[in-house]
Amino acid sequence: MNKTGFLYDERYLLHNTGPYHPEVPARLEAIYSGIKDTNLLSMLTLIKASSADLKWIETVHEKNYINRFKDACLAGKKIFDSPDNQMCPETYDTALLAVGGILDTIDLVMKNKIDNAFCAVRPPGHHAEISKAMGFCYFNNVAIAARYLQKEWNIKKVGIVDFDVHHGNGTQHIFEQDPSVFYYSIHQHPSFGYPGTGQEFEKGSGPGYGFTLNSPVLPDQGDSEYKKFFENDLLAAFETFKPEVIIVSTGFDAHVDDDMSDIRLSTEGFSWIMGKIVKMASIYSNGRLISVLEGGYSLKRLPELAKNHVEILLNS
Amino acid sequence: MFVSQSMTREVITINKDADIFEAKDKMTKHRIRHLPVVAKDNRIIGIVSDRDIRSALPCSLLKDYDTGKVREKLLAFKIKDIMIIDPFTVSLSYTIQDAIMLMQKTRVGAFPVVDKQGRIKGIISTRDLLHAFINVLGIEESGTLLCIIAEEKIGQLKKIVDAITEENISFGSVLVARYWDEGKKAVFPYLLTKKVSHVKRKLKKMGYTLLDPTEWYINQIAQDN
Repeated sequence: MNKTGFLYDERYLLHNTGPYHPEVPARLEAIYSGIKDTNLLSMLTLIKASSADLKWIETVHEKNYINRFKDACLAGKKIFDSPDNQMCPETYDTALLAVGGILDTIDLVMKNKIDNAFCAVRPPGHHAEISKAMGFCYFNNVAIAARYLQKEWNIKKVGIVDFDVHHGNGTQHIFEQDPSVFYYSIHQHPSFGYPGTGQEFEKGSGPGYGFTLNSPVLPDQGDSEYKKFFENDLLAAFETFKPEVIIVSTGFDAHVDDDMSDIRLSTEGFSWIMGKIVKMASIYSNGRLISVLEGGYSLKRLPELAKNHVEILLNS
Repeated sequence: MFVSQSMTREVITINKDADIFEAKDKMTKHRIRHLPVVAKDNRIIGIVSDRDIRSALPCSLLKDYDTGKVREKLLAFKIKDIMIIDPFTVSLSYTIQDAIMLMQKTRVGAFPVVDKQGRIKGIISTRDLLHAFINVLGIEESGTLLCIIAEEKIGQLKKIVDAITEENISFGSVLVARYWDEGKKAVFPYLLTKKVSHVKRKLKKMGYTLLDPTEWYINQIAQDN
């Protein structure tokens, strides 16, 4: 059995997105209850968040953007950059806690205190661009995590696997010219889903060409298509790239009961995906894997999906 | 949506007495396919396309086709020898719609844009029109496309637009496909948001069919075969 970390902090509930918004604190409560109610907590290394040092945020985002975000929050603005990004005065601090918690988790993994971890954070991050908030995201959590691994822990090759049902435009753009970070995303086809990027011909640019890989999936395809793409695209790519650490952008929103998408992935489908990723981590990166929450909006399904996710991390 | 807003204003032109190589180099350098030919007073007298240039030059697979004696011979030919005289032009007050229709009718790839005196003010090419279309669709901004089937009767579009506006969602664009199943139209709102689940449920409750894009794809493939 692995030593698995679980990052969860009640302060992540303070980011209030206001009325009519799917990215709600109850998502995290559902995830927490799914893990707690099945008595998994005692088997996990519980991690509380600390606030991230701005110097790490600045490895990805422009200073001007960080200040704009902070000022908008202090000024009590309800929306930042796009109407989707509804926020409250605590949003900026919560976003810093999300990043800080992930960086603390990385330290534990790199010091061999834990083998892998699930970071149940809010707000999510993969849509956040260098200087633009989008799609419920403010700081690009996984991108900052990758930079931290490189700068603080001297990791040369980071592999990011993003199975949120939306394409991680921010993460892709941040690393598209960088051959030291491989970004793989499987998502609902951009013609029929937000944010409209992530076509199969987007493969990176300049020295980073070939280090971005997208598997757009047409609506209604479900488990079999996902498995096919995963095996044909990702497994082959990582066999060549051999990441030293794997970061996962975990989104549960491709589930059949999640109305944010039309993909119809089953609960078992999610387990299959995570099983494959954990296996890759054991082959290429000495088991080092950090899973970071992105989307997933079905409050009914999140408990079981989170429980299965953690069990796979523990038992692989 | 006027041509004057979408045209390229910095027009690369050529003199009628220039040689063919000069025109070829200009096209390569600026990555363009049309060079208007203008007189000294900027009046348009012709146009030369990359196809005209290629027809005038020998096969590029032949060795030394553009050096030595061959080049010397070719230098004797001028743009006025190969240009299209009196080309189609459009005026500044043309709409984008006019330009698209004219392009389809004439099968020409670019029109010089001229004032009343026939002096060149810009050029509008397929690429400029494509860019104008992208602007109209609003697709440079992130968003989500919905596909809604509506009965072909008055007031349907208003109902759909109202239902979406009530949710405080901004539109990138709304397209209507006129030719769908009999008595039906397809409406494609492009919404500048990720939050579409609520409005999708609402539209379904109102009795609209939200098209499953895959089903549509599969039907199309079946028809094509």
